[in-house]
Amino acid sequence: MSIYITGVGVISAIGLNVEENYQSLRNKKTGIEPINYFPSTKNILVGEVKLSSDDLIAQLNVTAPISRTSLLGLAAAKEAWEGNQHDASIRTGIISSTSVGGMDNSEQYYKQRLESDTPDISLITTHDSGTTTERIATALGISGYINTLSTACSSGANAIMLGARLIEQNRLDRVLVGGSDSFTNFTEEGFRSLMIYSDDWVKPFDENRNGLNLGEGGGFILLENEKSLNITNNKKLAALGGWANTADAYHQTASSPDGKGATLAISNALKIGNINPSEVSYVNAHGTGTPNNDLSESVALKNVFKEKVPPFSSTKSYTGHTLAASGAIEAVYSVLALQHNVIFPNLNYSTPITDTELVPEVNLNESHEVNVVLSNSFGFGGNNSTVIFKKA
Amino acid sequence: MYINACSTISHQNSFQNENWINELVPLDIKSELITPDYKEFIAPAALRRMSKIIRMSLACSKDCIQQSGTETPDAIIVGTGLGCLADTEKFLNNTLTLTGLIPPTSFIQSTHNTIAGQISLELKNHNYNITHTQNSLSFEHALIDAILCLNEEDSNVLVGAADEAIPLLDELAKQFGLDEITHKLTSGASFFMLSNNKTEASKAQLVDSYTVGLNNSSPGDIIDDFLKRNGLTIGDIDNVLSNTFGTVSEFEIMDTFNATPVKPIDECSGYYFTNSAFGMHLGVEMLAQNSSKRILLYNTLNNSNIGLTLLQSLEA
Repeated sequence: MSIYITGVGVISAIGLNVEENYQSLRNKKTGIEPINYFPSTKNILVGEVKLSSDDLIAQLNVTAPISRTSLLGLAAAKEAWEGNQHDASIRTGIISSTSVGGMDNSEQYYKQRLESDTPDISLITTHDSGTTTERIATALGISGYINTLSTACSSGANAIMLGARLIEQNRLDRVLVGGSDSFTNFTEEGFRSLMIYSDDWVKPFDENRNGLNLGEGGGFILLENEKSLNITNNKKLAALGGWANTADAYHQTASSPDGKGATLAISNALKIGNINPSEVSYVNAHGTGTPNNDLSESVALKNVFKEKVPPFSSTKSYTGHTLAASGAIEAVYSVLALQHNVIFPNLNYSTPITDTELVPEVNLNESHEVNVVLSNSFGFGGNNSTVIFKKA
Repeated sequence: MYINACSTISHQNSFQNENWINELVPLDIKSELITPDYKEFIAPAALRRMSKIIRMSLACSKDCIQQSGTETPDAIIVGTGLGCLADTEKFLNNTLTLTGLIPPTSFIQSTHNTIAGQISLELKNHNYNITHTQNSLSFEHALIDAILCLNEEDSNVLVGAADEAIPLLDELAKQFGLDEITHKLTSGASFFMLSNNKTEASKAQLVDSYTVGLNNSSPGDIIDDFLKRNGLTIGDIDNVLSNTFGTVSEFEIMDTFNATPVKPIDECSGYYFTNSAFGMHLGVEMLAQNSSKRILLYNTLNNSNIGLTLLQSLEA
């Protein structure tokens, strides 16, 4: 059964909508800058969405208290949903994903608790991840199948996969899938405690990479089956080509040096989609810029593609690592690559990783037809996901 | 789909005791969560670092592996409403009170998928590994995913749910005026081995599970439709297990189910987002002991979200 992508939406450090993101990617314009919107006295580099939460609340016409994670998710979901109508004969659902849910508000609550006897209790009501998604569903008028996945940095990819499987097994006809995460002090301190937060601009796949920059944002895509398309008449932007999730089962946070879980995810996704490795036009890599991930991912790419690794790049050099949102944001970028026959450049790269010698795409490449894009997302707990997108 | 193992840690004597459903005692202010000998399931060095939610989940998972004889499940699926709260709170407090480098352990263990991730690590399992977190419907969403897996190529799926309470929850419940549940907010874990294969370990069958979030129609209609899709009517159901007696009026539930007896589970499970998983284990044991043929689990812990799970006996 074919599953089509008929809507895309994204908000990130490089733009408030799909078009702005596309132009930044084309023009090698990173959104990672010294922290500015988030209240902080630190001097760190972050891929912030260039709007305050108050501005987002006003633009999206919602009421506080609401987490920034919900706001970013809603902005992207709204763009992907734009123009669609509710119809009782189309079983419609939403699957979002987040790693820390309403932590942006929760950490404010805890801070207030330490400082005063009367913390604002409403701040903690947005904590749980399920509520994050319900706020998005409410704003779009979706009821029924409403779900949230949380598998750290692979969450967004897993939401896409679950949506596809629910359509395949005839439980849904149309489903909005994606994810969002806001920047928080909690996650920044977390990656710093693991000593993988870079104080320099992130350098994915470079021999001298020294960690990630956090980002924030939201990404959503709308999936539909033929039955739904017959009613909505939506334009097919792309189709899903395959998907897989595997467990590395190596370490709670680190990836295995032999890239076992990642290799399995990539090869299983190709197998499920009945796609030959040589058909892959572009790999949108997970590429966080940590020494561990980029090596493990490079090894996995070589395991699967041998000497013929397709052109690849990490767009986290533009957005920063947006955690649960990353798989969803990069799904939108993958669709853009298919629509415009373009491969986006990897920023800040100069020297290949000694052990693997893989060289990412560093210039905007418009010289080839892009028919199949493979997108990787790997998370804590050894959670490895690959989603494949193809021309509709 | 067959249920080939069940394992629950709760306030009841539910762990490795098939007779637990005949020894149910309602929770009171003094009752405590049972503590199995975790060293039987987890290496001491690892155990020391693990929060309650991880310990409970690992012990239940390994118990399910033993009961079913399935060493390598084809998928590991976990539902959790609030995830690893103890480690989340610990790291959060550390970021606010410590200066300089903070120990990473509680951050690593704070993510929701620490549970499923730790299970895959302990079992050296490379298969599908996922975590659902949709407040009161987290367990049902995990179950639906397990059903998808069993309809695909998988034969055996380890699926479960866990939640842990921290003192802040009681404090918040008081502030929100939820006095009747305050001392019943607690922790719990229930895991199951689902299989396409009937074995000597099989205890009952899972027929279907379904969720409606942000519901805007009549619960009676949703239940009728769900049963109809499975070729049944409410008259075919011997028992309904409900986790909502404390929060929805008795009349409202009785009216929906007409003559079918409704058994509340919340007074024995306590309140946590995934207590419907406790209900599923209870239902499976009722079916295994031949006291019913078909059981419907009716989850309306959160009034606007409905979870329905249909179980039947091996003979049905």
